[in-house]
Amino acid sequence: MLLTLVPLILVFVLCGAGALLGFVLPERRTPALTALCGSLAAAMALLAGANVLYGSPFSGQLWTIEPLGTLAVSLDRLSAFFLIVAAVVILASSIFSASYLKRYAGHHSLRAFNAGYLLLIAAIVLILIADDVLSFLLAWEAMSILCYLLVNFEHLRDGSSQAAYLMLATGEAGFIAVEFVFVFLAIKAGSLEFGQLKTALAGLGPAARWGIFLATFFGFSTKTGLVPLNSWLPRAHPAAPANVSAILSGTILNLGFYGFIRVNFDLVPTGTTGTGVVVLVVGTVSALVGILYATAEGDLKALLAHSSIENMGVIAIGVGAALIFAASQLPVLAGMAFIAAFYHMLNHSLYKSLLFLGAGVVDERTGTRDLDKLGGLIRLMPYTAGLFLIGALAISAVPPFNGFVSEWLTFEMLLRSVELPSTSLRLLFALCGAGLALTAALAVTCFVKAFAMGFLGVSRSEAASCASKAHKTEIAPMALLAVLCLLLGLLPTYVIPVLDQSLSPRIDPHTVQALVPPFFAPAAASTELPPAFLADFHNLGAQLGQRILPGRGLVLLHRGGAENPVIFAMSPSYAFAALVLLLFLAWLVFARLARTRKLARNELWAGGIPKLLPEMVYTATGFSNPVRVVFDAVFRPAIIESKRETVAVHFRTAILRRRQDIYLVDRLFFLPLAALLRWIAGQFARMHHGRLNAYVTYAVGFLLFVLLLGLYS
Amino acid sequence: MTVSPPPPAQQRMFDTTALATEVARRFGTAVTRTSENGGAASWFVVEDRSALVPLCRFLFSEAGCGFAGMIVEERNEWNLRYLFLNPGCGWVYCILRLPLSTRTVPSISVPVHPADWYEREAEDLFGLTFQGHPRLGDFVLHDQVWQEGLTPMRKAFDAGQTQFELRPQQDWRPTLVVQDPGAFAMPVGPVYEGGIGESVHFLLETVGEDVIRAVPRLFYNYRGVEKIAEGKSLWDVLLLAERFSAKSAFAHSLAYCQAVETALHLETPPRARHLRVALSELERLRHHAGVINGICRSTALAVSESHAAIIEEKLLRASAAFSGHRYLFGLNTPGGLRRDFDSEATSALLRSVDDALQLLERLEQRLSYSSSFLDRLEDVGVVSPASARHLNLLGPVGRASGLRRDVRRVCPYSGYQHFQFQVAHEEEGDGYARLRVLFAEARQSASLIHQAIETLEPGPLCADPVPIRAAAALGWVEAPIGAAGHWVSFGRDGTIERYRILSPSFRNWMGLHVAVEDFAFQDFPIILSTFGLSATECDR
Amino acid sequence: MSFWFWHGLRNGIQSTRYPHAPETAPGVTPGRPVDTQFSSAEEAAEAAAVCPTGAIHAESARAVVDLRKCIWCQRCRFGCPRPLHWETSHTWAAGSAARGAASPLGSPFGHSLHVMVVDAGDCGACLNEVKQLNNPLYNIHRLGIFFTPTPRAADVLLVVGPVSENMKGPLLKTYEAMPEPKRVLAAGTCAITGGVFGRSFMSHGGVPSVLPVDLEIPGDPPPPLAILDALLLTAGRAKHSTLSNPETAPSPDHGPRLVKLP
Ligand code: SF4
Repeated sequence: MLLTLVPLILVFVLCGAGALLGFVLPERRTPALTALCGSLAAAMALLAGANVLYGSPFSGQLWTIEPLGTLAVSLDRLSAFFLIVAAVVILASSIFSASYLKRYAGHHSLRAFNAGYLLLIAAIVLILIADDVLSFLLAWEAMSILCYLLVNFEHLRDGSSQAAYLMLATGEAGFIAVEFVFVFLAIKAGSLEFGQLKTALAGLGPAARWGIFLATFFGFSTKTGLVPLNSWLPRAHPAAPANVSAILSGTILNLGFYGFIRVNFDLVPTGTTGTGVVVLVVGTVSALVGILYATAEGDLKALLAHSSIENMGVIAIGVGAALIFAASQLPVLAGMAFIAAFYHMLNHSLYKSLLFLGAGVVDERTGTRDLDKLGGLIRLMPYTAGLFLIGALAISAVPPFNGFVSEWLTFEMLLRSVELPSTSLRLLFALCGAGLALTAALAVTCFVKAFAMGFLGVSRSEAASCASKAHKTEIAPMALLAVLCLLLGLLPTYVIPVLDQSLSPRIDPHTVQALVPPFFAPAAASTELPPAFLADFHNLGAQLGQRILPGRGLVLLHRGGAENPVIFAMSPSYAFAALVLLLFLAWLVFARLARTRKLARNELWAGGIPKLLPEMVYTATGFSNPVRVVFDAVFRPAIIESKRETVAVHFRTAILRRRQDIYLVDRLFFLPLAALLRWIAGQFARMHHGRLNAYVTYAVGFLLFVLLLGLYS
Repeated sequence: MTVSPPPPAQQRMFDTTALATEVARRFGTAVTRTSENGGAASWFVVEDRSALVPLCRFLFSEAGCGFAGMIVEERNEWNLRYLFLNPGCGWVYCILRLPLSTRTVPSISVPVHPADWYEREAEDLFGLTFQGHPRLGDFVLHDQVWQEGLTPMRKAFDAGQTQFELRPQQDWRPTLVVQDPGAFAMPVGPVYEGGIGESVHFLLETVGEDVIRAVPRLFYNYRGVEKIAEGKSLWDVLLLAERFSAKSAFAHSLAYCQAVETALHLETPPRARHLRVALSELERLRHHAGVINGICRSTALAVSESHAAIIEEKLLRASAAFSGHRYLFGLNTPGGLRRDFDSEATSALLRSVDDALQLLERLEQRLSYSSSFLDRLEDVGVVSPASARHLNLLGPVGRASGLRRDVRRVCPYSGYQHFQFQVAHEEEGDGYARLRVLFAEARQSASLIHQAIETLEPGPLCADPVPIRAAAALGWVEAPIGAAGHWVSFGRDGTIERYRILSPSFRNWMGLHVAVEDFAFQDFPIILSTFGLSATECDR
Repeated sequence: MSFWFWHGLRNGIQSTRYPHAPETAPGVTPGRPVDTQFSSAEEAAEAAAVCPTGAIHAESARAVVDLRKCIWCQRCRFGCPRPLHWETSHTWAAGSAARGAASPLGSPFGHSLHVMVVDAGDCGACLNEVKQLNNPLYNIHRLGIFFTPTPRAADVLLVVGPVSENMKGPLLKTYEAMPEPKRVLAAGTCAITGGVFGRSFMSHGGVPSVLPVDLEIPGDPPPPLAILDALLLTAGRAKHSTLSNPETAPSPDHGPRLVKLP
C-alpha cells in the first residue's frame, strides 16, 4: 500500500516542484531539469505500477465535495498496466529531452515547455488513477489542453498552431460526448465514484448500453485517432517536438483505449456482438487508411503519425474481436484477443516512441524531415541508424522483434473466427483478416522506405550530407526502447502472464493456460497437459530450459479440444536461438572461406558512369509511387500546379506537376460536413434581411414555441 | 502532353528559279546567289549575317525545305553551310562566311529546330558560340572527361596527339527538366542491356513508375572520324567511311564515293550503278531484319525473335557468300566497284534474297496475328506527323509518321530513277507503324534487288582514273536509317581537307525525345528498338 | 498465339554442330588472308604494297600477314595484281602479343562462362557479330556460355572497338567491377590495334593500351564462330586443329600465337 502511495505522491510532488523550479533556475539548466524531474517521476510511476501489478490494487478517497460526492483515486491492475507503459515512454522521452531541448534554447521559452511537459505527466498519471467521474474528466481536460500547448510549442512554424488547434478541437468534441455519458451515468447511479457506478448500473438496458458505447467510442476515438477522427494526428505530430510526439504516440493514444475499455468493459460492459463489429470494422479501415497514407508520405514524422493510426487500427481489431468473442460466449478467445490487443498496444508504445525519438534526432541534426532530401545518414549517425532500424523492423512485424508477436497473435485471433456461430461474422473476420494482411505487407514497404530513404544510399541534400552524430543522452533512451522491443519479441511467454494479470478478472482465467502451457512445470505437477501432448512437445524440445529458466515455458500455443490439440504454436525464443546458431555456423563457414579467398570491395556498379550523383538515386516519392499509382482511387491526388515550360518553342526547360492529396478523411468526412454546415448557415443567413418587424416575429414565434414545449411536458 | 509544334505556315512549292527570285525579292542584296557549283543546286551566300535567321526560317517553314544539316569549314575564314533539301528544287545551300576571329554566330535552331544538335556539336568541337541557342556545352566532349574550351575540330588541333592533359570538370551535374517533387533521373548505361548494346547513357527522369522524359547522352563512341580523315588520301578515308558505322557500311561508302565522283567528275558505268543499287538494297534488307529482330526481342516474343535473328544471319551469310564480306566492306570505290560478280553469284544472291523475303513475310503475317505483341507496340512511342515534320525525322521513323521523304525519290542517285519502287509510309507514328514500314521497305528492297540484277548488262565496272583536284561536293544516299550525306572537300595537295558526315542517326536521336515522354518504364526498350537507332552512326 | 509454339517446333533445331563438327555453310566466315609464297621478292613487295594498314610485309619471296592489323579491306584479294591466298577458316583467335599465351579459366568455368560485352567505340559490326552468337543458328547457350548484363557476374570481358576516350572510364570501371579470376578478350582489329581509327586524341588504339588483354580475336569484324572459338579457348574447351597445321599456321614472329592448352 505504502509502496504504491508514496511513489504516486512523489510523482505529483516532482512534477509540481519541477514546473515551479523551472521558473527560478537559469534557462540553460531547464533541459536538465525537465529530464531529471520527468525521468524521476516516470520511475516513481513505474514503481507504483509494478507494485500494483504484482501486489495488491490500491485505492483511496481524496475528499468529499458536498453536493457532488466523493472524489477517489485507485490504481487497479488495468490502470497499472497503462501506467507502466506510459512510464516507460515518459522515462525514455524525458532522458531524451536533456540534449534535444537545447535546439530550442534562445528562441523558444524552455521554462514554459518544462512546466507544460511536467504537468502533462502529472495529468496522465491522474487520468490513470482517477476513480471518479469528476477527477477523470478534469484530468482529461487538463491533458488535452497541455497537449495543445506542447504541440503548439513551435508556434511560429507554418501550420503548427493550426495543427494544434485542430487537435484541441477534435479532442474537445470527443470530450463533450464523453462528458455527457459520464454525467448521464453519474445521475443514473447517483454517485461520482466508479465503483458505485458499476454496481448501480448493472441493470442498464441494451439500448442505453449501445448509446453509451457509441458516445464513448466516438469520444475516445478522437484521442485514439481512429478513422474518421484522426485528421489532427498526422498534422499534430510533425508540429510537435520529438519528445512530445513520442509521448503523444506512446501514451496519449493509449489513454483513448484506456477510457474506452474502462467504460465499456469495466463500468458498463456492452455485451453485444454489434459493438464489436463496429470496433472491428473501424479498426480495419483505420489500419488500411493509416498505412496507405504512411507509405505515400514523404515527411518522416508524418509518416510515423500515419503509421500510428495503422497501429491503433490493429489494436482496435483486437479489441473488436475480443468484444465479439465475449458476446459469442467464447471467453478464452476473447481473452486471447484482448491479450493480442494489449500486447500490440505495449509494442506500439515502445517502437513508435523509439522511432519518433530517432526521427527527432534526424530532424535535429539535418534540419529536415523530408525523406526526399535525406539519405546516407547511416554513415554519419550509425547508432541512430541502427536503433531506428530496430524500430523499423519491430513495427514491420519482423521476428525476433516484438511487433511480430502481437501481430501474429492478432492474425491467429482473426483466424479463430471459425468458432463463431454466425456466417456473416466469419465473413467479416475473413475480410478484416485480408485487410490486416494487406496492412502488414504495406507496413513493410513503408518502413523499408522510411529506413532506406532516410539512412541508406547517397545523401540527397546538403543538409543530410553534413549531419553529426547524436548525443549520448539521445542514444541511451532509444537504446533502452530498442532493448525492450527485442525482449518483448523474444520472451512473449513471460509477457503474456503479465498482461493476463493486468486484465484479470475481466477475462477468462483459462486464457493464460491456453496460451502459455506450463512446459517448465515439473512433470508431476503438469497435470493440466495430457501426457501424449506433453510427450509430443517434449520430443520437439519444448521443455528445453526446464529447471534453468523460470516461468511456464517458452512456447506460445493455443490448445484446442481433444480432437484438435494444437491450433497454433510458435516459439520466438527457440526460433531466435536457432537463428543465432545458424548465423554463427554461417559465419564460421564464411570465416573459413575468407581465409583462402580474397574479399574484394568495390564501388557500386552503376552502368559505368563516373559517379552516381544524388539526383540519380531513388527518392522516397519515387520509391512509394507504385503504391500511389495502384491506390490512386484512394489518394485521388489533385493536381495543384502543372506547367511545361519551353524556351524558343521547342526546348523544354521545365516540366512540373505538383500534386496534393486531400486526406481521405477530410475529403469524405470533414469537407462535406463543413460544406453542409456552411449551407445550413447560409439558409439561416437568409433570415437576416434587416427588417425589424420580421425579427420581432422570430422572437415571438420562438417564445411561443418554448411556452408550448413547457406546457406539453 | 507533348508540346505541340507551331502550325506550319502557308507553304508553297518552288522550283530552282522561283526560289531564287523569291529569295532575291525578300532579302535583296543581303543574300546573293552563287554559281560556284555550276548551277546544279541553289547556293545562297548570306552577305549580311543578320539575314541568316530570316532566310533559314523562310526556307524551313515557308518554302517547304527540310533541314539536312550543317557543315562548318575552317579555311582562311569560317565557312558555314546550312543544307536544306527541297522536294521541288533539290539541295539548297545557305553559306555564311565569317572572318576567322569571329566566335559568335546567330543560332537558327529557334526557327529551324532540327539544327539544334548541329549547332551544339559545332559549339563543342569548333568553339563557336551560337547566339540564341538555349542549351550549349557538354555535348560531344563529355564534361566529365574533357575540359571546356578544347576545340578538336579546329585546324590547329593535332588529331594525332595522344598525350595531352585532360581536366575533367568534377562538379558536372546533369541538366534536369522535370521538377516534380521527388523527381529523380534514373541512369541507364553506358554499359547495359546484357552488354550487347551500344554505349549510350540515358537519364530517365521519373517520379517512380512512369518515366516523364528520357534524355539520351551520346558520343561515347565518338572517334573523331571527321577529324582524323583530314589530311588523309581519299582511299584511306574510304576505309573510314565504310567502318564508322558498319550496319550501313555500304550506304555510307556509296555516299562517300558519290561525293568524290561529283567532286572529281567521275562517271560511274551503268553496271556498277546497278550493282550498287543491288548491294544497297541488300544491306537495307539485312539492316531491317536486324531492327525487326530487335523489336521482337524488346517485346520478349522469343520465337519471333529467333525467327528474325535467323533471317538476319542468313542475309549476312548471303552477303559474305556473294561479296566476300558479311558487312559488304571493301566493295565500293570512287568510280565504281572493286570487283565484278558472275551470273552464278548473282542468281545465288537472288535465291537467298527470295528465301529471306519469304521468311520475313511469314514473320510479318504471324506477328500481325499476335495480339500480345501488337498490344505492346500500338500507341507506344507515338510521334505525330506534325512533330516528325517539325523535327525532320528521317528514314523509316519519319515515314511511319507520314513523312513521305526518301532521297531515292527526291534526288535520285545511282540510277534509282530507273527502278520501280514505292516509298512506304504510315500515318499513325506509333511503334507498330514503324514496324510496318520496315516490313514494307524490306519487300521493296527485295524487288529492287531483282530489278537491278535482272537489268544488269555487261560492261566496265569502274570509271577510268582522273587527276585529283581541289573541289568539294556532297554525296548522298538513303541509308537504311535515313538520308545520309557525306561532304568531301579536297585540298590543293589532293588530300581530304574537310570530311563531314551528315548521319541520319544523329537526326533521329535528336527526335527521340518526343517519343519518350510520359511512358511506362517497361515500354522504354520497345520505343528504342522501334526507332532502330545506331549510336555509332550518330557519334562518328 | 499458340501458332508460335508450333512454329518453333516445326522449324526444328537449326543450330550449328560446331565445335563438335565443322561448320561449312557458305558465308559463315569471310575467310582470311594467309601468308603466300610468291616467285620473287619484288612480287611479294608488290603484294604487300596494296595493304592500307601495313598488315602485309614481304619476307624475301613470301608475303606475311599480321592479322592483328588486317582490316579485311580485301584489297589484297580482289582487283590487285598479286592477290594473296585466302582461306575460309574461322579459328584464328590467339594469345595477346603483349602478354603471351594466356591460360584458360579452367574447369569450373568450362560449362558456365559468363561474358560481359562492352562497346568501346565499336562500329557496330563486331557488336552485331557478338549478338549473332545468341542467334539460334549459333545458340551459344547450348555450350554453357552466357552474356550477362552486369560485370559482377562476369568471368570474361569481351571488348569491341578501339576504346574511345569517352568510353575509357566506363570500360575501366567495368573491368574493376568484375571479380577474379577474369579474362579480357579483344574482339576485332580495332580492339587490338585501333584498326582504321588508329591512335588519336579520341581513340586509344586498342584495348591493350588500357587493359591487360589475354586473347585477341582479329577480324573486321571477326565472324561469330571466331568469337565463339575464342570463348571456348578461354573456357579451356577448344581443340585447335587448323592452327596447328604447319601448312596454314602463320609464322611465329608475326602471326598470332597459339594459346597454350592445358
Ligand atoms: S585484307 Fe587485310 S591484309 Fe589484305 S590488304 Fe586489306 S588489310 Fe591488308
